[in-house]
Amino acid sequence: MIDTWDVIVVGGGHAGIEAALAARRTGCTVVLISAKANRIGEMSCNPAIGGIAKGTIVREIDALDGSMARSADATSLHFRMLNRRKGPAVWGPRVQSDAAEYARAQQLYIENSGIAVVEDEVTGLSGDTERVSGVKCRRSGRVKGKTVVLAAGTFLRGRLFRGDERWKGGRIGDISADALERDLVKRMFHVERFKTGTPARIVRSSVNTAELEVQRSEDTDFTFSFGKGLQERDQEVCYITHTDINTMNIARDYLHLSPLMEGRIEGTGPRYCPSYEDKVVKFPDRQRHRIYVEPMGYKSRDFYLNGLSTSLPREAQIKMVRSLRGFEGAEITDYGYAVEYSYFHFSEIADTLRLRKTENVFAAGQICGTSGYEEAAGLGLVAGANAARTSKNQEPLKLSRMNSYIGVMIDDIVSKGADEPYRMFSSRAENRLHLRQDNADRRLYLSGKRFGILSEEKRDLLSANLKEAELIWSVLESKTAGGMRLSKWCRRPGVTVEAVGALAESLVERDQKVLLSVLLDEKYRGYIERNLRRHESNRNLGSINLREIGSYMEIDEICWEAREVLERERPETLAGAERIPGIRPTDLHGLLIYLGRQRST
Amino acid sequence: MSPEIICAVATPEGTSALSVIRISGSGSFELLENIMSLEKNRLRGMRRKVGRIFQEGRTVDEVVAVSWPRGSSFTGEEMVEIICHGIPRSIRTIMEILIKNGARRAGPGEFARRAFGNERLSAVQIIALAALWDTEREQTTLNGEAENSCMELLSGIESAREAVEGFIEFGEAHLDGDDDAIGKVYDELIGRAGVFKREAASIEKRGRVMLMGPMNSGKSTLFNLLSGEGRALVSGEPGTTRDGSTCIIEVSGRKVQLCDTAGTDGLGLDRTASEAVIDGLDGTERVIWMSVGGKTPPPGEVRKKAGEIIEIAAKSDLDGRRETADLLNVSSISGEGLEELKTMLSRVPGSMSLSGVADRISGSIEESFNFISSGEYGLAAELLSEAEIETRRILSRGENIQLSVERALSGMCVGK
Repeated sequence: MIDTWDVIVVGGGHAGIEAALAARRTGCTVVLISAKANRIGEMSCNPAIGGIAKGTIVREIDALDGSMARSADATSLHFRMLNRRKGPAVWGPRVQSDAAEYARAQQLYIENSGIAVVEDEVTGLSGDTERVSGVKCRRSGRVKGKTVVLAAGTFLRGRLFRGDERWKGGRIGDISADALERDLVKRMFHVERFKTGTPARIVRSSVNTAELEVQRSEDTDFTFSFGKGLQERDQEVCYITHTDINTMNIARDYLHLSPLMEGRIEGTGPRYCPSYEDKVVKFPDRQRHRIYVEPMGYKSRDFYLNGLSTSLPREAQIKMVRSLRGFEGAEITDYGYAVEYSYFHFSEIADTLRLRKTENVFAAGQICGTSGYEEAAGLGLVAGANAARTSKNQEPLKLSRMNSYIGVMIDDIVSKGADEPYRMFSSRAENRLHLRQDNADRRLYLSGKRFGILSEEKRDLLSANLKEAELIWSVLESKTAGGMRLSKWCRRPGVTVEAVGALAESLVERDQKVLLSVLLDEKYRGYIERNLRRHESNRNLGSINLREIGSYMEIDEICWEAREVLERERPETLAGAERIPGIRPTDLHGLLIYLGRQRST
Repeated sequence: MSPEIICAVATPEGTSALSVIRISGSGSFELLENIMSLEKNRLRGMRRKVGRIFQEGRTVDEVVAVSWPRGSSFTGEEMVEIICHGIPRSIRTIMEILIKNGARRAGPGEFARRAFGNERLSAVQIIALAALWDTEREQTTLNGEAENSCMELLSGIESAREAVEGFIEFGEAHLDGDDDAIGKVYDELIGRAGVFKREAASIEKRGRVMLMGPMNSGKSTLFNLLSGEGRALVSGEPGTTRDGSTCIIEVSGRKVQLCDTAGTDGLGLDRTASEAVIDGLDGTERVIWMSVGGKTPPPGEVRKKAGEIIEIAAKSDLDGRRETADLLNVSSISGEGLEELKTMLSRVPGSMSLSGVADRISGSIEESFNFISSGEYGLAAELLSEAEIETRRILSRGENIQLSVERALSGMCVGK
């Protein structure tokens, strides 16, 4: 057994897996510690990967050689390209996966990559907070490591709620990492509480699906992974039903028993994935909410009720479910519940996902205040890569917000924080027209290669895609149509791959997915360039470092209110300062003047 | 470091019953308390004190000092106004005393500039304020009508963005394709953009266009034709127009100030006149450069200083036409090219002016709507965000001073 690991990963969820794999790909020795090894990679909530913006993150993860995309592809039951009618800039690929198969696929990646798995509960960091020497475990005692990645998800002092039931746990059937949270609080980390929830799972055979609207999978050769196409596999159908006035009235009758409304849960929940009781309270005029009925797996016994997350008592849940059309005789296998957990306040997290108080502890996933598998996996990959690089004294991996959603997410988290679990939206990206799902491989290839997180196989594949794109581009530049270079001609609205192929025969033999991606680059090029020019000044602000500032309270050039806010928030750069509410342009100028004077003395 | 104390006489020169001197900047209270021999802190807050100003033991004047604390004054800084007798000699002396005690004479528009910098005035308000000074203007009021319509526009853009972003992020999950809703939002928005465009055009100072080119290329003939009056002295002899002449012309509802100039070919008879013309280019949005048959290109110094140049091949009836895209063939005799030229002039002032920005905003909004119709929601949102940034910039207080604002400030009298 290795005495001192290069990287210790705490947690085997979507963040922990990508962290461990990324660190391992750089050649580090990695141990992943999870309370239950057989629940590594579990989809604790809905059995789906992707969505608008989230799907693009999955593509980015694949471009950086993470495993999420491949596991999602391999276990896909149902695929839809969301926003199909709203333009390729905002397309969002989404698959329904077989939840059990997905977890197993992820476990296989871990097992086959030479990552050690230890089944134990981490009870704290060991050594000095400034530079930890590893972690303490309940049974195995001390595990020594050069770096630690904390990816504990919702387990930090996790509390589960359903009606007046209340018990400890990070999710149903699992432990709560109370000791670890105590240790972190004792070490003066600033943690706060968030909550989230999950809906009931329904016995499939108890649902009259003939009554439901059917949603079929799109017939497409899309894969999340930029690798080879997918082998044929059996598809499932999803269904759609709606809540009505009865559902609403039942929820209202039991509202007084909701742990949220009663104030037993203090944490803030995700605004964009609200519980059904939140919806009832916030949108009292809206009786009809759409509910997606999704199988948990291929021919699985259970349905997942997307849109009916709730922590009302069991009695209310069964009544609510049975008020849905087609669900009159439905039986519940697992009741919905809410979970409240601790996460790091954003002031604790640096832009490499290192915890600022330490030299060698990193954080990823929900403990950074995010929500969602894809967000967690993206953070995990970066945290794992940076833990690995720190263990080798190499410069950290940073992704620009102009070049990836992962970059947007990290920048948002560390500079603004969130007052609710952070979910990725396409509108959070200033450079959305460039950050598309189709070009993630070409956007991130150089970062992946430079920071050593690509396997040889992936590197070859991506570099081949890049060459293919260049070749296509050179054809577009050399051919003309209607007196116009083809590269310009294809900016016109409604130009298709087929239309371009008809004009330049040699393109028909090229990779049609890459061809489409190159055409989209051209289509949006003018707007992207204009947008980048607009953000130039902000980028300059981003290059101005504020870390050297000892105390803002002494800076006479800025107003009192701003001093207090800056002292509290401690932004990394001037761009970060700009985004803090209450900071005015005059304060930024004041800071510039101050920095200028500091430099000259 | 706090900015210097500035002072200026805010009332017209000459003898009058009363006159006002303005002082602004941190430390103004203390300065006044000293020269009026008041007790410390007597001017702190919003106060009014009667007192005397002394010089070498002699009373210069008996004055009223009115003070405003930081945050509630015109400039947003500590500010005092001295109401004194309108006697030029004693006003001069008071100014000297102020300067000797650490104040500095303000430049034109400096008070307004500070108000802008301290977020007390927005760009729209400054331009409206400057227009008040412009004697050519009637009916301009400082009631912030333009600012209001700009705010309305901004909130319209914001709701349209919300709607579009909502469709992008949640359209699949929650809405059952309510396309009408988006159409309604845009209808409303396009209306607001139109209102703001009109307001912007009406409050902004005129754009300025210089008519330049080598001698005897027909500038004055064109000038007279455009102005509709025989104002410039015209003859066939080179070098007739010495001092330049100015007229206001109205093209497509926009007022443009057109300046005729002496011939400028850099070599000319009168080097001094040429230089004066080129110096006069500051603050000019556009230059019409005309030469016979477009044979003389504008010299480098003109290119450097002018915002944008419209090149004209003049006397197209005499000298034959030039078929290049960047030259406009114009003949004052046959009338060729005049309409095109007027259209180009109506777009003056250039892209940096308020009405130029308003045009761009409304263009972006319309383009955005077209993208919704063609199913490109990402592009639609992008254009709305461009419109939003531009609108915010107009409303912004204290950042990104634009050309128009700069020009408005420099055109103000010193006491503002």
